[in-house]
Amino acid sequence: MTAPVLVVGEAHDGGLSDATKEAVGVALGLAAPENVAGFLAGPTARAACLAFGKFGVSKAFAAEDPRLDGAVTAVVAHLVAGSADALAAGVVLAGGTVFGRDLIARLGVRWNAAVATGVTGLSRAGDALEVRRPIFGGRATETRKLEGSRIAVALRPHAFTPPPEGSATPTVTPVSLDSVPAPLWAPKRSRVEATPRGGGPSLGDASIVVSGGRGVRAAENFHLIEELAASLGAGVGASRAVTDAGWRPASFQVGQTGRTVSPQLYVAVGISGAIQHLVGMVSSRVIVAVNSDASAPIFKVADYGIVGDLFQIVPALTQEVKRVRGL
Amino acid sequence: MEIVVCVKPVPDPETRLRGSADGTTLDIEAVKFVLTGYDESAVEQALLLKEAAPGSKVHVVSAGPSPRTEEVLRASLALGCDTATWVETPPGVGTDPVAAARALGRAVAALPHDLVLVGKQALDDEAGVVGAALAEILGVPDFSAVVDLRWDAGASRLRFQRSTDLGTETWEAPVPCLVALQQAWNDPRTAKLPAILKSRKQPIAKAAPDPAPAGAGASRPAKFELPPPRTGAKLIEFKTPEEAAQKLVKVLQEEAKVFP
Repeated sequence: MTAPVLVVGEAHDGGLSDATKEAVGVALGLAAPENVAGFLAGPTARAACLAFGKFGVSKAFAAEDPRLDGAVTAVVAHLVAGSADALAAGVVLAGGTVFGRDLIARLGVRWNAAVATGVTGLSRAGDALEVRRPIFGGRATETRKLEGSRIAVALRPHAFTPPPEGSATPTVTPVSLDSVPAPLWAPKRSRVEATPRGGGPSLGDASIVVSGGRGVRAAENFHLIEELAASLGAGVGASRAVTDAGWRPASFQVGQTGRTVSPQLYVAVGISGAIQHLVGMVSSRVIVAVNSDASAPIFKVADYGIVGDLFQIVPALTQEVKRVRGL
Repeated sequence: MEIVVCVKPVPDPETRLRGSADGTTLDIEAVKFVLTGYDESAVEQALLLKEAAPGSKVHVVSAGPSPRTEEVLRASLALGCDTATWVETPPGVGTDPVAAARALGRAVAALPHDLVLVGKQALDDEAGVVGAALAEILGVPDFSAVVDLRWDAGASRLRFQRSTDLGTETWEAPVPCLVALQQAWNDPRTAKLPAILKSRKQPIAKAAPDPAPAGAGASRPAKFELPPPRTGAKLIEFKTPEEAAQKLVKVLQEEAKVFP
């Protein structure tokens, strides 16, 4: 199968988002550079499309229109399907963002594609594409065969590395918006408020996550968790006990009814390790637990453990991390 | 407002996972299938919207094999949904999320639907595909990662926020549309015994799935793997908190190599 690969990107700060760069890297593993094309939709898509050239991608499709800032995914799916047909693409790839996953899902119907999301590995298997993806909150992994002449895949964030930078100027093909059905412009996005992060990465984005649990005892102690996270450049999470008690908002919750994270390093502080929490973090690469109760189930899934009083251990750890990092 | 909520029976989260005999998928022998997680919360959200807009109805729809699908539909009726529709599919159809959306599509289209509600993703395959794919079938816009959903009856608009990679987005949208909820409620309502007893006698409408169009791609599970069991934490021995901190940072740097 040598049909071209179309990478549906998202622009970020005038360049390509990290998720898009990861998808470009995957595309270049599936097809020769001349058989990879990029796609961007947005108010300045044409200029942004030039960024694909940095990674050796020689063709790009640009849907440029002010209305695309805040357009529903259905509009973009409409345009992507048209571009994929124009390219005679066999595979469409998107990054592991909220947008990427919705887009790929829509292409399953609009473009009659075989679909997979949250993909952490992929390879050709004859005419099919074989993908690997974590399921059951990372408690299992499945390999899935995608069969058909059209395949659409959304990647999992951080599962792939961006390709090395080169330099090329891609040929940019403008994409017309005339065929978009009028009702799809009716929903209105009135405001976007960037998530306040206190300088740290967001929970889903972070390669290190520090989470606090019931052992923190009170809202006014949670700063210990946040200071350790800040020293590590980590995202901050919490167990359900913390968000239920209102010490931190629900958006901090890691677990079955919260977020699923899979960072390189997960530090669980004062978290006993109920199954509802474990399913949200067990696929992290390395897990560290700090807990005063040596029999806490968190120590069964952790790689490294410190049995001790978090009120002593955590400040010491913050100091040590700052020292090592020269902060 | 006519609200359709789509749910999927998934293995009880406490289930011990095991591969099937041929190694392609989960062994469902002895697995208890339940209404839970994001789907249970989608039902809760539908019922909250119904209570806020008198005269509304909630229609629950599920596609899947017997008996588990019928069971989650009855559980939804017991919670307060008004009607239930079962799209009976052979085992396996639900393993391709686009096929699952197609199975639901005709049944949902046949119901009055101002708002179609789904959870963010099922707790088993975590595909998060059915919502947007179903919206594409219905020809309506969809909004994922939605938090804080309200119906503004005066303006005939849904008002909601989305928690996306950009941050918190504020939206308003006319109906019909599909909403995929980002959050799960930690404490959705539980059914009362009389409602559970009544739900056993309530009718469940049956609908036929739409077949895939010719040439459509297929996604099927080929291998199911469990990670090697974690052997338990290597415990850091220490006399002072400072020593614990130093030893941990060293081991993270040199052994685990996760620390700069």
